[in-house]
Amino acid sequence: MAKKVKFKLDGREIEADEGRLVIDAAKDAGVNIPHYCYHPALGNPGNCRMCVVEVAGAPKPQVSCRTPVREGLDVKTESEPIKRARAAMLELHLVNHPLDCPVCDQAGECGLQNYYMEIGQYQSQVRENKDHKGKRIEVGPHVMLDQERCILCTRCTRFVDNVTKTHELGIFRRGHSERVELTPGLILDNAYSGNVVDVCPVGALTDRDFRYKVRVWYLDETDSICTGCSRGCNISVHTNTKRPWHNDGKRVARLKPRHNHDVNGHWMCDDGRYGIGALDSGRLGRVLKLTPERRDASWESAAEEIAKALKAGGVAFVASGMLSNEDWAAAKELFAGAKLYFCPEPDQIGVEDDFLRRREKVPNLKGAEALGLKSGSFDELARDLESGKVKTLYVVERDLAKIWGAERAKALIAKAAFRVYQGPNKNELSESFDFRLPATAYVEESGHFTNFEGKVQAYCKALEPIGQARPDAEIFRLIAAAAPAARREVAA
Amino acid sequence: MSATATKSKTPFTPEQEKELVAWTKRYPHSNMGLVEALRAVQDWHRRITEADAARVAEIFGLPFNRVWGVATFFPSFTQWQTGRKRVGLCHGLSCWLAGSDAAEKALRETLGVPEKTCTADGEFSWEAMECLGACEQAPALLVNDRLIGRADAAAIAALKKGKK
Amino acid sequence: MTKILTKHFDEPKLHELETYRRLDGYKGLAKALTMAPAEVTAEVLKSNLRGLGGAGFPTGAKWGTVPPVDKVPGPRYVVVNCDESEPGCFKDRVLVTRAPHQLIEGLLIAAHALGAKETYIFIRGEYQNQYDVLRRAIDEANAAGLTKHASIDLMRGAGAYISGLDTALLETMEGKKAWPRQPPPFPTVAGLMGKPTVVNNVETLSMLPFILREGGEAFAKIGSPKNGGTVVFSVSGHVRNPGIYEVPMGSTLRAVLAEAGGVREGHKLKCVIPGGTSMPPLMEKDLDLKLDFDQIRAAGTFLGAGGMIVLDETADAVDVAHNIERFLAHESCGQCTPCREGAVWTVEILERVMSGGGVSEDIPNLTRLGENVTGKTICALGDTVGMVSRAYLQRFPEDFKKRIPDGQKS
Repeated sequence: MAKKVKFKLDGREIEADEGRLVIDAAKDAGVNIPHYCYHPALGNPGNCRMCVVEVAGAPKPQVSCRTPVREGLDVKTESEPIKRARAAMLELHLVNHPLDCPVCDQAGECGLQNYYMEIGQYQSQVRENKDHKGKRIEVGPHVMLDQERCILCTRCTRFVDNVTKTHELGIFRRGHSERVELTPGLILDNAYSGNVVDVCPVGALTDRDFRYKVRVWYLDETDSICTGCSRGCNISVHTNTKRPWHNDGKRVARLKPRHNHDVNGHWMCDDGRYGIGALDSGRLGRVLKLTPERRDASWESAAEEIAKALKAGGVAFVASGMLSNEDWAAAKELFAGAKLYFCPEPDQIGVEDDFLRRREKVPNLKGAEALGLKSGSFDELARDLESGKVKTLYVVERDLAKIWGAERAKALIAKAAFRVYQGPNKNELSESFDFRLPATAYVEESGHFTNFEGKVQAYCKALEPIGQARPDAEIFRLIAAAAPAARREVAA
Repeated sequence: MSATATKSKTPFTPEQEKELVAWTKRYPHSNMGLVEALRAVQDWHRRITEADAARVAEIFGLPFNRVWGVATFFPSFTQWQTGRKRVGLCHGLSCWLAGSDAAEKALRETLGVPEKTCTADGEFSWEAMECLGACEQAPALLVNDRLIGRADAAAIAALKKGKK
Repeated sequence: MTKILTKHFDEPKLHELETYRRLDGYKGLAKALTMAPAEVTAEVLKSNLRGLGGAGFPTGAKWGTVPPVDKVPGPRYVVVNCDESEPGCFKDRVLVTRAPHQLIEGLLIAAHALGAKETYIFIRGEYQNQYDVLRRAIDEANAAGLTKHASIDLMRGAGAYISGLDTALLETMEGKKAWPRQPPPFPTVAGLMGKPTVVNNVETLSMLPFILREGGEAFAKIGSPKNGGTVVFSVSGHVRNPGIYEVPMGSTLRAVLAEAGGVREGHKLKCVIPGGTSMPPLMEKDLDLKLDFDQIRAAGTFLGAGGMIVLDETADAVDVAHNIERFLAHESCGQCTPCREGAVWTVEILERVMSGGGVSEDIPNLTRLGENVTGKTICALGDTVGMVSRAYLQRFPEDFKKRIPDGQKS
């Protein structure tokens, strides 16, 4: 435990850990000191000089990102000399900046723009021509570089040097001719490349998939958990509902990592970040009875019919780690006595690394484990379907074609007498069932996931469900309520 | 430290490779030989290309962006081809007071090439350099490692003829 | 006048060990090796020797900040800064060429005082002749058994002025871009490869043989208060006899100019840059100013590394300021924003003024820009960017006004 000391911040007495950086201690106390280069996970090179503060006894302004708190330190962040110094630093950052905010995707969340509005100095003193550098450089599959907007804070190069250690970006040349560039022969295609966009405090590095889609000030942000793997990276879902005609009509505009020191730090992987494209494609919005002929059904009638089938026994429940803890709890009740199949097969297994990415590409296998639920193997399920042991097949958000191949999966599904598919999206086989139930996507519900380490984390509802879609747990409870007798019977 | 991992196609001769490896061993830490190693490459190839720097990075076991950063930072290292005689004209204050502008004109005209451009025969290139530490002999020229003081048009003409 | 470093410079073979030894060479080292390291440091402290590379920090005090071995075990290094690159400075080149053993002896004394087993001479790459001279001298010293307590090796730079700043020098030595570090920690605590390292200038170390041989007090007596010994000025520009001149600390500007033969024939003194082009110039009224690290401050400038450039009436302050700012902009390492952007902006404004496009607002704007950069950067190069333009604006406003079409209005 660090020693607590008292220091003065703009005249207020503040208690902080000895040695904590003034910029951090000030933030803890609600004072945001403007800065660009400092990033808590990337260090404090002190090159942007924006975070200058007045320290009693020091002859000149000190950078607060390199000044440790000590007993009796007297810091001023808003004195006249400091305001002037900060304005001067901002002016120097802008001397060669193109000031192209109207066409810049960073506008609205840009360090240059925000401080400019805050600090003022609206009348430019620059009579000279601006430097021209590279624009629209596709540095990788996800990231676009504009060198003219870059302020050379080195956050991105520190990220690729120290976090991913992949070294795709560098600051080359010297002095006024230096610029951020791709390291010759490389492209920025590491599995975490999108993070450089987050750490870039200006519009130099932007997301290619977000380019010109929607202005950030139209977006709403909701705390959530990434469903891309069992790490459970904390994220923020940025949704676009205020301007539905923007962003090609997509409601989720982007995902951003949300800091959680114990889970993902400041980062998330590209698979999770950019895997949102399919979220709203092929959405299921209606309760359908597909056999004997396709027709709309009500939740109540569907629930009644399904409950009856479940009561008859021989139930196989297929799901995945996409279910929330709430869903698992409801499923445990509804499917007591049924055989469960939710282990990841090749369809949900992918690359694991020593950073964030986990082998299981679903967020919540641990939630099932915590309830004592056990998954049978899909080979066993195939055998049971083949032999006719499975009377009722209930599949939640899982594409069996990806496990067995489309043809075999279709044939196996056909063996069951009664078949239910439930999920947010269509898949290749979702028409091969007797019922098709629309479920909410994770961004349309609130719940909890338990990550691979056993951490239970909440995610929040960011959007309204599509059509008749309901959360899985709610659907399970609806069915359970339609057959209370059945439930008791199985429980007994 | 893995000194060298892969033996990719090297732009250096076996002797040069040996010298580069020697620079990794000269000082208490291998990285400390990097600037000297790059000086050697600049001498051999009269510039440092990406392929040169990439091989040096391999030999030193350093990330390429680090080596390329150093190779593009220091003025002694060029990515353009210098002449066999690389002529540097000092234009620091004392040399400028003593007529470095006239010397620059003489260089341009005598050598017949613009700054940082090699003559067709590869013999000469010239460039403005910052203070050469010879202010008492202003204006000063550095021809490879050789200092020439009081560089007037006549001295530059002699240099071209190979007489100086 | 008392000479210490250049006393024997008329000896043609001073660079050879035999001659150097005949002229009391390596007696200081012999003396030092009979003393405890702390005693050597105490002697240096007593001598009032100041860092002659430009900062003027008391050498003994700097050594005193190296943590003792029992507190920070492991190697410590002494590094010679021979990266002389500031316009106006060439004394290190002459000192190394003429008296390499004087430097080596000083370095070996410092190594003993600081407990360094390894020492390095970092020399700018353009000084290849001096590199060769040092190589031969080190070989001689090794052969004579003088380096038993500490080895000496050489390393060359690659043309960056900023490498002459101690922390940037260490970065260069570590095979990185010469981006200055931002202390703390200071190099004496964590320097080369993170080990305690003393970086001293050629001239500073070259003073040590005398200090050890004759005693710190004798050295202190030669100079002025708190400024021991002599200082070697590199004099160039509009003078009759450009060259290096060694004078006692505290000598007047008039005396130094007289040594160099005064302003060139038929011309009038305009100003004198005292310490290398980054330093604001002294004016005619300052001729009787005593030149040492402290007294020169009264004239708003610094002794720097003693690179003295004399300017006569033919020099225009706008052109001069431009030449210097252009140098600084070229040498700005690019690490921190105010220097990287401020230096080039300053140059661009001056170039517009020079080409006739100046407007009256340029003068207050240059002043404001200079103030804005000064004191805000990682290293002192940024300070000089802000200092130079303001110094010439303040001392020669007429030169600026006459280059600006509507300048008389301001």
